[in-house]
Amino acid sequence: MEIKKLLFVTRFNHLRFDALLSLMDLKKAALNHVVFLNVIEREKVAMRRGKGYEKSAEIRLREKANIRFIDWAETLFEQGMEVGVYIVVGSFAAQVIQAAEKEDVDLIVLSPEKKGRLEQLYSGSDITEIVHRSATPVLVYKYLSRKGPLAENPFEKPLLAVSWSATSQRAIEYLKSLKAVIQEVELVYVASEKELKGTSAMAIQKTRKENRTKLEALCDELEDVGITAKPHVYVGDTVEELDKAARECQSSMIIAGSPGKRVWKDRWGTSISKGLTEKSVFPVLLIPPKEG
Amino acid sequence: MSKKVLIVDDDPDVRIFNATVVEENGYTPIEAANGEDGLKVLKKEMPDLVLLDVLMPKQSGIRLYRELKTDKTLLGIPVIILSGIAKRTFLRSQKALTEFGDKPVPEPESYLEKPVEPEDLAKEMKKYLE
Repeated sequence: MEIKKLLFVTRFNHLRFDALLSLMDLKKAALNHVVFLNVIEREKVAMRRGKGYEKSAEIRLREKANIRFIDWAETLFEQGMEVGVYIVVGSFAAQVIQAAEKEDVDLIVLSPEKKGRLEQLYSGSDITEIVHRSATPVLVYKYLSRKGPLAENPFEKPLLAVSWSATSQRAIEYLKSLKAVIQEVELVYVASEKELKGTSAMAIQKTRKENRTKLEALCDELEDVGITAKPHVYVGDTVEELDKAARECQSSMIIAGSPGKRVWKDRWGTSISKGLTEKSVFPVLLIPPKEG
Repeated sequence: MSKKVLIVDDDPDVRIFNATVVEENGYTPIEAANGEDGLKVLKKEMPDLVLLDVLMPKQSGIRLYRELKTDKTLLGIPVIILSGIAKRTFLRSQKALTEFGDKPVPEPESYLEKPVEPEDLAKEMKKYLE
């Protein structure tokens, strides 16, 4: 599960070149190929009454994107990286999935949704669609402020949200392949209120101990390959607690498993990955389950 | 039989433009939309000249050029790079790849920065085909 090739999906105003540069530490792991994608959404060049299909608008938008990409590509080419470009008209999610498949990328990097709540209700979330339909991990990149990236390298100090699912184990394998880039990992399990069996202090502490023991075993697994790892148990709303934990641990990113294509409503399903991408201030890397 | 010119560019409009210039000058154009396909066509068709873009999906012109100039059967085919990417960047990237352990490659025969005037392209092609 090495990251050799990444797809950098940008609308330019939400995800800039400095975000990509902050990921260049991945070269220490295996990264050597970046593919840029800009999707010109149909409504920007759609048929208008009396005007028809705005071919000239499409050309303008394509060339504007091309000029930015040439500039970015020159920087990467000079570092000996391989670079590719797609500028396409169509539906955002479909084009991202198509480019990821054509190029067989190992990671998709994109910015959070720009859609409003009402628009999402009407047409759905692009990120949710991409995560459900793609077998490739998705990093939802976020800036802490307009000044620049949250961390110099988001992969430096990630927080892994553990759910005891097969996807969590896949995320552990993913982390191992990034050992050249990662300094330290925080492993966080969030127990729901319901999970706290009984009302006695003993029963509640037992739940904590059980999960903590399992987390420690995962930490040992990571430390065996040279990655420092720390276990943490939190209780409450998963999204809120993960965001809280990431702040307390001064993490650079949250990594979580995303639901499988057929699993729509489990606790670690749509609501968690969607909640994290929408509510957390941290970049979120969503790892899909293994195919097949 | 007229000489064959392979055009490798992901932009269909650019391919049409270049193919027209090639045909108008009495040569036969062959086309490929990216570096990966370009290499396959190169080996199959053994053209007399290659017009190569740099920034393309699948495989860039930088990698295709490197494969061409390190392949004994292909390295004699002249290459004209046609790109928005500056020549300086192209040369620096080749240098970086050589520093990473790849074989050194010679400079391309010609380098024209896009957009290119048809007469400039024709003049450059003639250097290698006549």
